[in-house]
Amino acid sequence: MYLPCPVVQNIKVSCTSWKCALEDVAWIISAPAYHLILEGILILWIIRLLFSKTYKLQERSDLTVKEKEELIEEWQPEPLVPPVSGDHPALNYNVVSGPPSHNIVVNGKKCVNFASFNFLGLLDDPRVKAAALVSLRKYGVGTCGPRGFYGTFDVHLDLEDRLAKFMQTEEAIIYSYGFATIASAIPAYSKRGDIVFVDRAACFAIQKGLQASRSDIQLFKHNDMADLERLLKEQEIEDQKNPRKARVTRRFIVVEGLYMNTGTICPLPELVKLKYKYKARIFLEESLSFGVLGEHGRGVTEHFGISIDDIDLISANMENSLASIGGFCCGRSFVIDHQRLSGQGYCFSASLPPLLAAAAIEALNIMEENPGIFSVLREKCKRIHKALQGISGLKVVGESFSPAFHLQLQESTGSREDDVKLLQEIVNHCMDRSIALTQARYLEKEEKCLPPPSIRVVVTVEQTDEELERAARTIKEVAQAVLL
Amino acid sequence: MGEGGCFLETAGVEASAAPRAPRASEASSSIQKPRVNTWQRPTLERRNWDAACSHAKGRRDRTGKPQRKRMNVGVAHSEVNPNTRVMNSRGIWLAYIILVGLLHVVLLSIPFFSIPVVWTLTNVIHNLAMYVFLHTVKGTPFETPDQGKARLLTHWEQMDYGLQFTSSRKFLSISPIVLYLLASFYTKYDAAHFLINTASLLSVLLPKLPQFHGVRLFGINKY
Repeated sequence: MYLPCPVVQNIKVSCTSWKCALEDVAWIISAPAYHLILEGILILWIIRLLFSKTYKLQERSDLTVKEKEELIEEWQPEPLVPPVSGDHPALNYNVVSGPPSHNIVVNGKKCVNFASFNFLGLLDDPRVKAAALVSLRKYGVGTCGPRGFYGTFDVHLDLEDRLAKFMQTEEAIIYSYGFATIASAIPAYSKRGDIVFVDRAACFAIQKGLQASRSDIQLFKHNDMADLERLLKEQEIEDQKNPRKARVTRRFIVVEGLYMNTGTICPLPELVKLKYKYKARIFLEESLSFGVLGEHGRGVTEHFGISIDDIDLISANMENSLASIGGFCCGRSFVIDHQRLSGQGYCFSASLPPLLAAAAIEALNIMEENPGIFSVLREKCKRIHKALQGISGLKVVGESFSPAFHLQLQESTGSREDDVKLLQEIVNHCMDRSIALTQARYLEKEEKCLPPPSIRVVVTVEQTDEELERAARTIKEVAQAVLL
Repeated sequence: MGEGGCFLETAGVEASAAPRAPRASEASSSIQKPRVNTWQRPTLERRNWDAACSHAKGRRDRTGKPQRKRMNVGVAHSEVNPNTRVMNSRGIWLAYIILVGLLHVVLLSIPFFSIPVVWTLTNVIHNLAMYVFLHTVKGTPFETPDQGKARLLTHWEQMDYGLQFTSSRKFLSISPIVLYLLASFYTKYDAAHFLINTASLLSVLLPKLPQFHGVRLFGINKY
């Protein structure tokens, strides 16, 4: 047997190969028995390993075979096309001709628009349209690529710069679809094992973002800070029991500035206090409050006078006040930079068409030039809010300065379908009198906390006082006629 | 590379368009224009071509045309967690064996260690390193698109997405045993060395059992 050099040093160099082999065997035989037995077991172990088959570790299934059979027996396939009644809203939609501006043409009838989220009237603004046309002539229509693949144009960087400066944060990031903004931002930071405390009235986009994040979701009652504190305290007790787990768990609070589903405002000062007390991070969704609240339209942080550095991430879509498409997130560079690689909607969707980015920049210019429009808008909201009080059968849900508020039935008929039918009648009658309204629509099976059916009324700067008065009067008369 | 390519294309288009235009106009015009020296210095374009191809210096194909570097062709992958297939990569088993060999040779070159001590040290250091890298360090150094499924899993548990007895797993289970057998031979079955080597081997064999998948004894290293 060929012996490697180091071992030869221990044995006499002069020995012949036979003698070396004998010496070698002598060592092995003089070894202790337990050692040899162990080595035998190990060699058998190697053979076992070499011949074992690959298999997957089964996930524990708590069902017996009989139970599985039962479940399979009683399963009924759902129809591919479920039966739907003829008056389903998706089958009876209204057709709008032309832009959904202040005077909207619905089904051929000219109405005053109280349904589109065109808060600052920038949808039909000639300056915005001119800027978009210039951009259209320069860049064409689309970008045909995500931001990482030749889809970044100077208008995108410009818009991000302008938004960051406007909101007085370090950096901003643009998404090409408003719904995808918050739905991409939440799963970029919150992963499995993290905890998110979210309001019950959060909009559908937030719900989808939370679902994608795979985190633990804790819902607290709408705008109820005591409930949130209770949940945070419970979490704190859990953390004290298991400090090592707590050290690797991230905590987030997700709220909206002005809630789309209820028109109420979030109590941001208390939230900031809770944030610092329980060490959670705040994500603020400002789709409805951007360009509405605050002295310069910077949103709910300016409204309450809170430093923007207290909020970790502000997300908003540009489809409401800015009358463009897409959304943006703004905050510290350290936070926003992460989304450039982890924001799914940013990396894997085509970027915003340059003409829409240019339109948004021009809209921002207009917003910065006349900061007076925000208070004008809030005045109009307060006016119609007051005018709509005291309608029999309908109650106004939402803040007085919220431009999008709801009219819910004071007493529900008992079934949601009947409520929806009633409200649709009111909407149709109002449409006949050339006031365009809409019901708030939800994917009823998908929503976590389905809000009650309501008519959503939207106030814009372009509506004159007479039109507001007329609308209030019309709704009152129609409600009286339909509900009594 | 992209800009270089575009530049070359536009330069090529312009270079080919420029001489054509005056020729066409000269041919069509009946009036004899005074002959201006329209001879272009070719070195200008050549200089730019060389500058654009600077990263392909010396790289030429069969016909002698300079080749420019392609974009990363064939490196994109859709693997959700690349950690799972690291130990299946090309050449990694050989690299592992060479690394263990290197460790052994380095230890051998220390003059005051005897052969049994060197072998025991090789065995112990190898098992310690294996324990730290495969059974202690958890998660991934990069973000994965599965929202952190493997955040609490060690590399051993992540290998091949938890599939047991794959070839990499077998290789990594057998290599400490082989090292142990060699070490016991070269330490001449000494009792003290036996204790150290066996304890070290057990510390690295037990976590590899499928029964120990995801198990954290006494809550150590759980989060």
